[in-house]
Amino acid sequence: MANVLKKTTGLTGLAVAANPHHTLSSLYNKILRAVQKMPQEAAYRKYTEEIVAQKLKIVQSTPVVKDLEKSINCGQAEELIVQAENELLLARKMLGWKPWEPLVKRAPAKQWDWPPAKIEQPKLE
Amino acid sequence: MAGREAARKVVHQVRPLLSVDKDEARKRVINLYKTWYRQIPYVVMDYDIPMSVEQCRDKLREEFLKNKDVSDIRVIDMLVVKGQMELKETVEIWKQKGHIMRYWKESQDPKPTDFLSKFFNGQN
Amino acid sequence: MAAFLRTISSSLRTGLVGKTIQPSTTLSAARFSTKAEEPAGETRPTVRKPDEVARSHLTDFGRYVAECLPKYVQKVQLTSGDELEVLIAPDGVVPVLQFLKDHHNSQFANLVDIAGLDIPSRENRFEVVYNLLSLRYNSRIRVKTYTDELTPLDSAYGVFKAADWYEREIWDMYGVFFANHPDLRRILTDYGFEGHPQRRDFPLSGYVELRYDDEKKRVVCEPLELAQEFRKFDLSAPWEQFPNFRNANPPSETIETKK
Repeated sequence: MANVLKKTTGLTGLAVAANPHHTLSSLYNKILRAVQKMPQEAAYRKYTEEIVAQKLKIVQSTPVVKDLEKSINCGQAEELIVQAENELLLARKMLGWKPWEPLVKRAPAKQWDWPPAKIEQPKLE
Repeated sequence: MAGREAARKVVHQVRPLLSVDKDEARKRVINLYKTWYRQIPYVVMDYDIPMSVEQCRDKLREEFLKNKDVSDIRVIDMLVVKGQMELKETVEIWKQKGHIMRYWKESQDPKPTDFLSKFFNGQN
Repeated sequence: MAAFLRTISSSLRTGLVGKTIQPSTTLSAARFSTKAEEPAGETRPTVRKPDEVARSHLTDFGRYVAECLPKYVQKVQLTSGDELEVLIAPDGVVPVLQFLKDHHNSQFANLVDIAGLDIPSRENRFEVVYNLLSLRYNSRIRVKTYTDELTPLDSAYGVFKAADWYEREIWDMYGVFFANHPDLRRILTDYGFEGHPQRRDFPLSGYVELRYDDEKKRVVCEPLELAQEFRKFDLSAPWEQFPNFRNANPPSETIETKK
Protein backbone atom coordinates (compact mmCIF):
# COMPACT_ATOMS: atom_id res chain seq x y z
CA MET A 1 0.00 0.00 0.00
CA ALA A 2 2.40 2.62 -1.25
CA ASN A 3 -0.24 5.06 -2.41
CA VAL A 4 -1.66 5.67 1.05
CA LEU A 5 -3.83 8.76 1.26
CA LYS A 6 -2.32 11.56 3.30
CA LYS A 7 -4.36 13.05 6.12
CA THR A 8 -3.88 16.75 5.44
CA THR A 9 -2.13 19.17 3.14
CA GLY A 10 -1.17 21.38 6.07
CA LEU A 11 -2.65 24.36 4.25
CA THR A 12 -5.82 26.04 5.45
CA GLY A 13 -8.78 25.61 3.14
CA LEU A 14 -7.04 23.11 0.89
CA ALA A 15 -8.50 19.63 1.28
CA VAL A 16 -6.67 16.45 0.31
CA ALA A 17 -7.48 15.44 -3.25
CA ALA A 18 -8.88 11.92 -3.56
CA ASN A 19 -7.54 11.16 -7.01
CA PRO A 20 -5.01 13.81 -8.04
CA HIS A 21 -3.87 11.91 -11.13
CA HIS A 22 -7.31 11.94 -12.68
CA THR A 23 -8.00 15.59 -11.79
CA LEU A 24 -4.61 16.79 -12.96
CA SER A 25 -4.60 14.98 -16.27
CA SER A 26 -8.12 16.11 -17.12
CA LEU A 27 -7.22 19.71 -16.20
CA TYR A 28 -4.00 19.59 -18.23
CA ASN A 29 -5.86 18.20 -21.22
CA LYS A 30 -8.44 20.97 -20.91
CA ILE A 31 -5.67 23.57 -20.88
CA LEU A 32 -4.10 22.02 -23.96
CA ARG A 33 -7.45 22.08 -25.74
CA ALA A 34 -8.07 25.73 -24.80
CA VAL A 35 -4.58 26.73 -25.89
CA GLN A 36 -4.98 25.00 -29.25
CA LYS A 37 -7.54 27.61 -30.29
CA MET A 38 -4.81 30.27 -30.25
CA PRO A 39 -2.69 31.02 -33.31
CA GLN A 40 0.27 28.73 -33.82
CA GLU A 41 2.96 31.38 -33.38
CA ALA A 42 1.60 32.92 -30.15
CA ALA A 43 4.33 32.82 -27.53
CA TYR A 44 1.83 32.20 -24.75
CA ARG A 45 0.52 29.11 -26.53
CA LYS A 46 4.03 27.83 -27.21
CA TYR A 47 5.24 28.16 -23.63
CA THR A 48 2.04 26.94 -22.01
CA GLU A 49 1.91 23.89 -24.24
CA GLU A 50 5.50 23.15 -23.37
CA ILE A 51 4.99 23.45 -19.61
CA VAL A 52 1.69 21.60 -19.51
CA ALA A 53 2.78 18.79 -21.82
CA GLN A 54 5.83 18.23 -19.65
CA LYS A 55 3.72 18.10 -16.50
CA LEU A 56 1.17 15.85 -18.12
CA LYS A 57 3.91 13.44 -19.10
CA ILE A 58 5.16 13.31 -15.51
CA VAL A 59 1.60 12.78 -14.23
CA GLN A 60 1.07 9.88 -16.61
CA SER A 61 4.40 8.25 -15.92
CA THR A 62 4.50 8.41 -12.09
CA PRO A 63 1.73 6.55 -10.27
CA VAL A 64 2.85 7.51 -6.75
CA VAL A 65 1.69 10.95 -5.59
CA LYS A 66 4.85 11.63 -3.55
CA ASP A 67 7.07 10.98 -6.56
CA LEU A 68 4.82 13.08 -8.73
CA GLU A 69 5.13 16.04 -6.38
CA LYS A 70 8.86 15.59 -6.24
CA SER A 71 9.44 15.42 -9.96
CA ILE A 72 7.17 18.35 -10.84
CA ASN A 73 8.70 20.31 -7.92
CA CYS A 74 5.99 22.93 -7.66
CA GLY A 75 4.26 22.12 -4.38
CA GLN A 76 1.84 19.41 -3.31
CA ALA A 77 -0.56 17.71 -5.68
CA GLU A 78 -3.44 19.79 -4.34
CA GLU A 79 -1.51 22.99 -5.05
CA LEU A 80 -0.78 21.69 -8.53
CA ILE A 81 -4.51 21.28 -9.04
CA VAL A 82 -5.10 24.88 -7.98
CA GLN A 83 -2.37 26.09 -10.31
CA ALA A 84 -3.81 24.10 -13.20
CA GLU A 85 -7.28 25.50 -12.53
CA ASN A 86 -5.84 29.02 -12.57
CA GLU A 87 -3.98 28.38 -15.79
CA LEU A 88 -7.13 26.97 -17.40
CA LEU A 89 -9.17 30.04 -16.49
CA LEU A 90 -6.34 32.27 -17.68
CA ALA A 91 -6.06 30.44 -21.01
CA ARG A 92 -9.78 30.81 -21.62
CA LYS A 93 -9.64 34.52 -20.78
CA MET A 94 -6.61 34.92 -23.04
CA LEU A 95 -8.74 33.77 -25.96
CA GLY A 96 -10.84 36.87 -25.48
CA TRP A 97 -7.95 39.25 -24.81
CA LYS A 98 -5.75 38.06 -27.69
CA PRO A 99 -2.47 39.30 -26.15
CA TRP A 100 -0.39 38.00 -29.08
CA GLU A 101 -1.53 40.91 -31.24
CA PRO A 102 0.83 43.86 -31.85
CA LEU A 103 1.14 46.62 -29.25
CA VAL A 104 -2.24 48.25 -28.67
CA LYS A 105 -0.89 51.72 -27.91
CA ARG A 106 2.61 53.15 -27.91
CA ALA A 107 3.57 55.13 -24.83
CA PRO A 108 3.57 58.90 -25.43
CA ALA A 109 7.06 60.32 -25.85
CA LYS A 110 8.84 60.85 -22.52
CA GLN A 111 6.14 58.98 -20.62
CA TRP A 112 8.64 56.61 -19.07
CA ASP A 113 11.53 59.06 -18.71
CA TRP A 114 13.10 59.24 -15.33
CA PRO A 115 13.94 61.54 -13.56
CA PRO A 116 10.97 63.60 -14.74
CA ALA A 117 12.68 66.93 -14.06
CA LYS A 118 14.24 66.68 -17.49
CA ILE A 119 10.85 66.91 -19.19
CA GLU A 120 10.65 70.55 -20.10
CA GLN A 121 7.51 70.76 -22.19
CA PRO A 122 4.78 72.46 -20.15
CA LYS A 123 1.37 70.89 -20.27
CA LEU A 124 -0.49 74.10 -21.06
CA GLU A 125 0.71 76.24 -23.94
CA MET B 1 -13.38 70.36 -42.43
CA ALA B 2 -10.01 68.84 -41.73
CA GLY B 3 -10.00 70.51 -38.34
CA ARG B 4 -13.36 69.00 -37.54
CA GLU B 5 -12.13 65.58 -38.65
CA ALA B 6 -9.14 65.91 -36.33
CA ALA B 7 -11.35 67.03 -33.46
CA ARG B 8 -13.63 64.06 -33.97
CA LYS B 9 -10.64 61.74 -33.97
CA VAL B 10 -9.47 63.13 -30.64
CA VAL B 11 -12.94 62.67 -29.19
CA HIS B 12 -13.01 59.10 -30.40
CA GLN B 13 -9.67 58.25 -28.90
CA VAL B 14 -10.47 59.09 -25.30
CA ARG B 15 -12.09 56.45 -23.19
CA PRO B 16 -15.49 57.48 -21.81
CA LEU B 17 -15.90 57.62 -18.07
CA LEU B 18 -19.57 56.61 -17.91
CA SER B 19 -21.57 58.30 -20.64
CA VAL B 20 -20.89 58.05 -24.34
CA ASP B 21 -22.78 61.14 -25.47
CA LYS B 22 -24.17 64.40 -24.19
CA ASP B 23 -27.74 63.15 -23.75
CA GLU B 24 -26.65 60.33 -21.51
CA ALA B 25 -24.53 62.68 -19.41
CA ARG B 26 -27.49 65.06 -19.11
CA LYS B 27 -29.73 62.20 -18.07
CA ARG B 28 -27.29 61.23 -15.34
CA VAL B 29 -27.12 64.80 -14.04
CA ILE B 30 -30.91 65.12 -13.91
CA ASN B 31 -31.19 61.74 -12.24
CA LEU B 32 -28.73 62.79 -9.58
CA TYR B 33 -30.55 66.07 -9.04
CA LYS B 34 -33.87 64.29 -8.61
CA THR B 35 -32.46 61.79 -6.15
CA TRP B 36 -30.96 64.56 -4.05
CA TYR B 37 -34.22 66.50 -4.24
CA ARG B 38 -36.22 63.56 -2.95
CA GLN B 39 -33.77 62.75 -0.20
CA ILE B 40 -33.62 66.28 1.24
CA PRO B 41 -36.66 65.96 3.59
CA TYR B 42 -35.13 62.86 5.17
CA VAL B 43 -31.74 64.56 5.43
CA VAL B 44 -33.28 67.55 7.20
CA MET B 45 -35.11 65.22 9.57
CA ASP B 46 -32.21 62.85 10.28
CA TYR B 47 -29.49 65.42 10.79
CA ASP B 48 -31.58 67.93 12.75
CA ILE B 49 -30.10 70.89 10.91
CA PRO B 50 -31.49 74.41 11.48
CA MET B 51 -32.56 74.68 7.83
CA SER B 52 -35.90 74.18 6.15
CA VAL B 53 -36.46 71.81 3.24
CA GLU B 54 -36.89 74.79 0.91
CA GLN B 55 -33.58 76.31 1.94
CA CYS B 56 -31.87 72.99 1.33
CA ARG B 57 -33.43 72.70 -2.09
CA ASP B 58 -32.27 76.21 -2.97
CA LYS B 59 -28.81 75.19 -1.89
CA LEU B 60 -29.00 72.05 -4.01
CA ARG B 61 -29.96 74.12 -7.03
CA GLU B 62 -27.16 76.54 -6.33
CA GLU B 63 -24.58 73.76 -6.09
CA PHE B 64 -25.70 72.27 -9.37
CA LEU B 65 -25.77 75.63 -11.12
CA LYS B 66 -22.19 76.26 -10.04
CA ASN B 67 -21.13 73.81 -12.75
CA LYS B 68 -23.66 74.81 -15.40
CA ASP B 69 -20.98 75.87 -17.86
CA VAL B 70 -19.15 72.54 -17.89
CA SER B 71 -19.41 71.04 -21.35
CA ASP B 72 -16.86 68.19 -21.42
CA ILE B 73 -18.78 64.94 -21.04
CA ARG B 74 -16.06 63.32 -18.99
CA VAL B 75 -15.88 66.27 -16.59
CA ILE B 76 -19.65 66.12 -16.18
CA ASP B 77 -19.39 62.39 -15.48
CA MET B 78 -16.65 62.93 -12.92
CA LEU B 79 -18.78 65.55 -11.15
CA VAL B 80 -21.76 63.18 -11.21
CA VAL B 81 -19.64 60.40 -9.74
CA LYS B 82 -18.50 62.67 -6.93
CA GLY B 83 -22.07 63.88 -6.40
CA GLN B 84 -23.29 60.31 -6.10
CA MET B 85 -20.61 59.50 -3.56
CA GLU B 86 -21.57 62.57 -1.57
CA LEU B 87 -25.23 61.62 -1.72
CA LYS B 88 -24.43 58.19 -0.37
CA GLU B 89 -22.33 59.64 2.44
CA THR B 90 -25.22 61.93 3.34
CA VAL B 91 -28.05 59.42 3.10
CA GLU B 92 -26.23 56.70 5.02
CA ILE B 93 -25.53 59.23 7.81
CA TRP B 94 -21.79 58.78 7.60
CA LYS B 95 -21.56 62.55 7.70
CA GLN B 96 -22.31 64.65 10.74
CA LYS B 97 -24.25 67.84 11.23
CA GLY B 98 -21.15 69.95 10.70
CA HIS B 99 -20.45 68.34 7.34
CA ILE B 100 -23.95 69.16 6.10
CA MET B 101 -23.80 72.73 7.40
CA ARG B 102 -20.54 73.22 5.48
CA TYR B 103 -22.56 73.89 2.33
CA TRP B 104 -23.82 77.18 3.76
CA LYS B 105 -20.41 78.55 4.80
CA GLU B 106 -22.15 80.56 7.53
CA SER B 107 -19.12 81.15 9.71
CA GLN B 108 -17.32 82.89 6.85
CA ASP B 109 -17.69 86.66 6.83
CA PRO B 110 -17.87 88.20 3.40
CA LYS B 111 -14.54 89.72 2.43
CA PRO B 112 -14.41 93.53 2.70
CA THR B 113 -14.21 95.29 -0.63
CA ASP B 114 -13.73 98.98 0.16
CA PHE B 115 -10.33 100.36 1.01
CA LEU B 116 -10.83 101.34 4.60
CA SER B 117 -12.27 98.10 5.89
CA LYS B 118 -9.55 96.21 4.00
CA PHE B 119 -7.04 98.42 5.76
CA PHE B 120 -8.58 97.73 9.17
CA ASN B 121 -8.55 94.02 8.42
CA GLY B 122 -4.87 94.15 7.56
CA GLN B 123 -5.32 92.97 3.99
CA ASN B 124 -3.76 94.55 1.00
CA MET C 1 36.63 55.24 5.03
CA ALA C 2 37.23 52.95 2.11
CA ALA C 3 38.07 50.09 4.43
CA PHE C 4 34.90 50.78 6.36
CA LEU C 5 32.85 50.65 3.19
CA ARG C 6 34.52 47.45 2.18
CA THR C 7 33.64 45.77 5.47
CA ILE C 8 30.05 46.96 5.14
CA SER C 9 29.75 45.69 1.62
CA SER C 10 31.28 42.33 2.44
CA SER C 11 29.01 41.89 5.46
CA LEU C 12 26.06 42.94 3.37
CA ARG C 13 26.95 40.46 0.73
CA THR C 14 27.35 37.58 3.14
CA GLY C 15 24.44 38.63 5.34
CA LEU C 16 21.83 39.49 2.78
CA VAL C 17 22.81 37.86 -0.43
CA GLY C 18 23.80 34.64 1.19
CA LYS C 19 20.53 34.24 3.03
CA THR C 20 17.78 35.82 1.03
CA ILE C 21 18.78 36.26 -2.59
CA GLN C 22 20.28 32.84 -2.99
CA PRO C 23 17.09 30.78 -2.57
CA SER C 24 15.35 32.89 -5.17
CA THR C 25 18.02 32.13 -7.70
CA THR C 26 17.95 28.43 -7.02
CA LEU C 27 14.18 28.39 -7.17
CA SER C 28 13.83 30.47 -10.24
CA ALA C 29 16.45 28.26 -11.79
CA ALA C 30 13.64 25.77 -11.96
CA ARG C 31 11.84 28.13 -14.30
CA PHE C 32 14.67 28.94 -16.67
CA SER C 33 17.69 26.99 -17.73
CA THR C 34 20.79 28.71 -16.40
CA LYS C 35 23.10 30.25 -18.88
CA ALA C 36 26.37 28.45 -19.47
CA GLU C 37 28.67 31.47 -19.39
CA GLU C 38 29.25 33.35 -16.14
CA PRO C 39 27.96 36.96 -16.46
CA ALA C 40 30.52 39.68 -15.93
CA GLY C 41 30.64 41.00 -12.36
CA GLU C 42 30.23 44.60 -11.27
CA THR C 43 33.54 46.42 -11.44
CA ARG C 44 32.48 49.90 -10.38
CA PRO C 45 32.78 50.67 -6.67
CA THR C 46 29.44 50.07 -4.96
CA VAL C 47 28.05 49.22 -1.56
CA ARG C 48 25.26 46.99 -2.74
CA LYS C 49 26.60 44.57 -5.29
CA PRO C 50 23.91 43.29 -7.62
CA ASP C 51 23.69 39.55 -7.82
CA GLU C 52 24.44 38.75 -11.44
CA VAL C 53 22.63 35.41 -11.41
CA ALA C 54 19.45 36.94 -10.01
CA ARG C 55 19.75 39.74 -12.53
CA SER C 56 20.01 37.43 -15.47
CA HIS C 57 16.99 35.46 -14.25
CA LEU C 58 14.98 38.65 -13.90
CA THR C 59 16.07 39.75 -17.36
CA ASP C 60 14.98 36.44 -18.80
CA PHE C 61 11.66 36.64 -17.04
CA GLY C 62 11.11 40.22 -18.25
CA ARG C 63 11.71 39.06 -21.83
CA TYR C 64 9.36 36.15 -21.25
CA VAL C 65 6.53 38.44 -20.10
CA ALA C 66 7.11 40.80 -23.03
CA GLU C 67 7.09 37.89 -25.47
CA CYS C 68 3.88 36.41 -24.08
CA LEU C 69 1.98 39.71 -23.97
CA PRO C 70 3.29 41.84 -26.84
CA LYS C 71 -0.08 43.59 -27.06
CA TYR C 72 0.28 45.34 -23.74
CA VAL C 73 3.93 45.49 -22.66
CA GLN C 74 5.57 48.73 -23.74
CA LYS C 75 8.87 48.45 -21.98
CA VAL C 76 10.69 46.18 -19.54
CA GLN C 77 13.42 47.50 -17.31
CA LEU C 78 15.57 46.70 -14.29
CA THR C 79 15.64 49.39 -11.61
CA SER C 80 18.30 49.78 -8.94
CA GLY C 81 20.10 46.71 -10.11
CA ASP C 82 17.69 43.92 -9.36
CA GLU C 83 14.09 45.11 -9.46
CA LEU C 84 12.09 44.06 -12.48
CA GLU C 85 9.59 46.56 -13.86
CA VAL C 86 7.07 45.95 -16.61
CA LEU C 87 5.64 49.11 -18.12
CA ILE C 88 2.31 48.47 -19.78
CA ALA C 89 -0.39 50.28 -21.73
CA PRO C 90 -3.39 51.31 -19.59
CA ASP C 91 -5.70 48.93 -21.44
CA GLY C 92 -3.67 45.95 -20.31
CA VAL C 93 -3.98 46.20 -16.54
CA VAL C 94 -6.32 43.25 -16.10
CA PRO C 95 -4.74 40.90 -18.69
CA VAL C 96 -1.20 41.52 -17.48
CA LEU C 97 -2.06 41.12 -13.79
CA GLN C 98 -4.12 38.03 -14.52
CA PHE C 99 -1.27 36.52 -16.51
CA LEU C 100 1.25 37.26 -13.77
CA LYS C 101 -1.07 35.80 -11.17
CA ASP C 102 -2.22 32.63 -12.88
CA HIS C 103 0.51 31.56 -15.26
CA HIS C 104 2.50 28.51 -14.16
CA ASN C 105 5.84 30.26 -14.55
CA SER C 106 5.00 33.45 -12.67
CA GLN C 107 2.39 32.82 -9.94
CA PHE C 108 2.55 36.31 -8.48
CA ALA C 109 -0.42 35.53 -6.29
CA ASN C 110 0.13 38.34 -3.83
CA LEU C 111 -0.67 42.00 -4.48
CA VAL C 112 1.59 43.83 -2.06
CA ASP C 113 0.63 47.38 -2.86
CA ILE C 114 -0.74 49.79 -5.42
CA ALA C 115 0.95 53.16 -5.50
CA GLY C 116 0.26 56.37 -7.38
CA LEU C 117 2.60 58.97 -8.79
CA ASP C 118 1.86 62.45 -10.10
CA ILE C 119 4.15 64.17 -12.62
CA PRO C 120 2.24 67.21 -13.90
CA SER C 121 4.64 67.90 -16.77
CA ARG C 122 3.77 64.65 -18.50
CA GLU C 123 1.03 64.19 -21.02
CA ASN C 124 -0.53 61.48 -18.85
CA ARG C 125 0.25 62.87 -15.47
CA PHE C 126 -0.55 59.91 -13.21
CA GLU C 127 1.39 56.71 -12.91
CA VAL C 128 -0.15 53.72 -11.13
CA VAL C 129 2.26 51.12 -9.80
CA TYR C 130 1.31 47.56 -8.85
CA ASN C 131 3.79 45.64 -6.68
CA LEU C 132 3.42 41.89 -6.87
CA LEU C 133 5.02 39.09 -4.90
CA SER C 134 5.36 35.46 -5.88
CA LEU C 135 5.69 33.23 -2.84
CA ARG C 136 6.21 30.19 -5.03
CA TYR C 137 9.33 31.54 -6.73
CA ASN C 138 10.33 34.10 -4.05
CA SER C 139 10.47 36.98 -6.43
CA ARG C 140 8.88 40.35 -6.90
CA ILE C 141 7.76 42.32 -9.91
CA ARG C 142 6.45 45.81 -10.46
CA VAL C 143 3.84 46.68 -13.05
CA LYS C 144 3.47 50.33 -14.03
CA THR C 145 0.87 52.05 -16.12
CA TYR C 146 -0.27 55.60 -16.72
CA THR C 147 -3.45 57.65 -16.98
CA ASP C 148 -4.64 61.24 -16.78
CA GLU C 149 -7.27 63.02 -14.71
CA LEU C 150 -10.28 61.90 -16.71
CA THR C 151 -9.31 58.57 -18.24
CA PRO C 152 -10.57 55.63 -16.21
CA LEU C 153 -8.36 52.64 -15.52
CA ASP C 154 -9.74 49.13 -15.23
CA SER C 155 -10.04 48.00 -11.65
CA ALA C 156 -7.78 45.12 -10.61
CA TYR C 157 -10.42 43.97 -8.14
CA GLY C 158 -11.45 41.09 -10.40
CA VAL C 159 -7.92 39.71 -10.24
CA PHE C 160 -6.79 40.60 -6.74
CA LYS C 161 -9.36 41.17 -4.01
CA ALA C 162 -6.67 43.17 -2.19
CA ALA C 163 -6.95 45.88 -4.83
CA ASP C 164 -10.19 47.13 -3.28
CA TRP C 165 -8.81 49.49 -0.64
CA TYR C 166 -5.62 50.29 -2.53
CA GLU C 167 -7.66 51.58 -5.45
CA ARG C 168 -9.86 53.56 -3.11
CA GLU C 169 -6.70 55.16 -1.76
CA ILE C 170 -5.52 56.08 -5.25
CA TRP C 171 -8.95 57.47 -6.06
CA ASP C 172 -9.00 59.52 -2.89
CA MET C 173 -5.45 60.79 -3.10
CA TYR C 174 -5.07 61.32 -6.87
CA GLY C 175 -8.56 61.26 -8.34
CA VAL C 176 -7.88 58.40 -10.75
CA PHE C 177 -11.19 56.75 -11.56
CA PHE C 178 -11.23 52.94 -11.57
CA ALA C 179 -13.89 51.47 -13.80
CA ASN C 180 -15.77 48.42 -12.48
CA HIS C 181 -14.63 48.92 -8.92
CA PRO C 182 -17.32 47.52 -6.60
CA ASP C 183 -17.22 50.24 -3.97
CA LEU C 184 -15.21 53.28 -5.02
CA ARG C 185 -15.43 56.02 -2.43
CA ARG C 186 -13.19 58.09 -0.18
CA ILE C 187 -11.06 56.23 2.33
CA LEU C 188 -8.59 58.65 3.93
CA THR C 189 -10.09 62.13 3.69
CA ASP C 190 -12.97 63.53 5.68
CA TYR C 191 -16.53 63.62 4.34
CA GLY C 192 -17.08 66.81 2.44
CA PHE C 193 -13.38 67.21 1.68
CA GLU C 194 -12.76 68.67 -1.75
CA GLY C 195 -9.76 67.90 -3.92
CA HIS C 196 -7.20 65.15 -4.06
CA PRO C 197 -4.35 65.83 -1.61
CA GLN C 198 -1.52 63.91 -3.26
CA ARG C 199 -1.72 65.84 -6.51
CA ARG C 200 1.30 68.04 -7.01
CA ASP C 201 -0.89 71.12 -7.46
CA PHE C 202 -2.62 70.63 -4.10
CA PRO C 203 -0.93 72.94 -1.59
CA LEU C 204 0.77 71.41 1.43
CA SER C 205 -1.39 73.52 3.75
CA GLY C 206 -4.67 72.61 2.01
CA TYR C 207 -7.45 75.04 1.20
CA VAL C 208 -9.59 74.93 4.35
CA GLU C 209 -9.17 74.77 8.09
CA LEU C 210 -11.54 73.33 10.66
CA ARG C 211 -12.22 74.58 14.15
CA TYR C 212 -14.78 73.99 16.87
CA ASP C 213 -17.24 76.83 17.09
CA ASP C 214 -18.47 77.36 20.61
CA GLU C 215 -21.60 79.26 19.62
CA LYS C 216 -22.80 76.79 17.04
CA LYS C 217 -21.62 73.81 19.09
CA ARG C 218 -20.13 72.09 16.09
CA VAL C 219 -17.05 72.00 13.88
CA VAL C 220 -17.01 74.65 11.21
CA CYS C 221 -14.95 74.83 8.05
CA GLU C 222 -13.29 78.02 6.84
CA PRO C 223 -10.92 78.95 4.06
CA LEU C 224 -7.35 78.82 5.19
CA GLU C 225 -5.71 82.04 6.23
CA LEU C 226 -2.00 81.99 6.87
CA ALA C 227 0.07 84.55 8.67
CA GLN C 228 2.68 86.12 6.44
CA GLU C 229 5.63 84.26 7.92
CA PHE C 230 4.09 80.90 7.02
CA ARG C 231 3.41 81.88 3.45
CA LYS C 232 6.96 81.37 2.25
CA PHE C 233 7.22 78.04 0.51
CA ASP C 234 10.50 76.62 -0.66
CA LEU C 235 9.42 74.70 -3.71
CA SER C 236 12.75 73.52 -5.07
CA ALA C 237 13.37 69.87 -4.41
CA PRO C 238 16.54 69.18 -2.43
CA TRP C 239 17.65 66.44 -4.84
CA GLU C 240 17.61 68.77 -7.83
CA GLN C 241 20.49 70.97 -6.66
CA PHE C 242 23.15 69.08 -8.57
CA PRO C 243 21.87 68.74 -12.13
CA ASN C 244 25.27 67.60 -13.34
CA PHE C 245 24.91 64.40 -11.39
CA ARG C 246 21.49 63.56 -12.74
CA ASN C 247 22.88 61.15 -15.27
CA ALA C 248 25.71 59.83 -13.13
CA ASN C 249 23.88 56.68 -12.14
CA PRO C 250 21.18 55.67 -14.56
CA PRO C 251 18.40 54.46 -12.29
CA SER C 252 17.08 51.88 -14.70
CA GLU C 253 18.34 49.70 -17.51
CA THR C 254 16.04 48.81 -20.34
CA ILE C 255 15.79 45.16 -21.24
CA GLU C 256 15.71 44.78 -25.00
CA THR C 257 12.64 42.89 -26.15
CA LYS C 258 12.17 41.98 -29.76
CA LYS C 259 9.15 43.59 -31.31
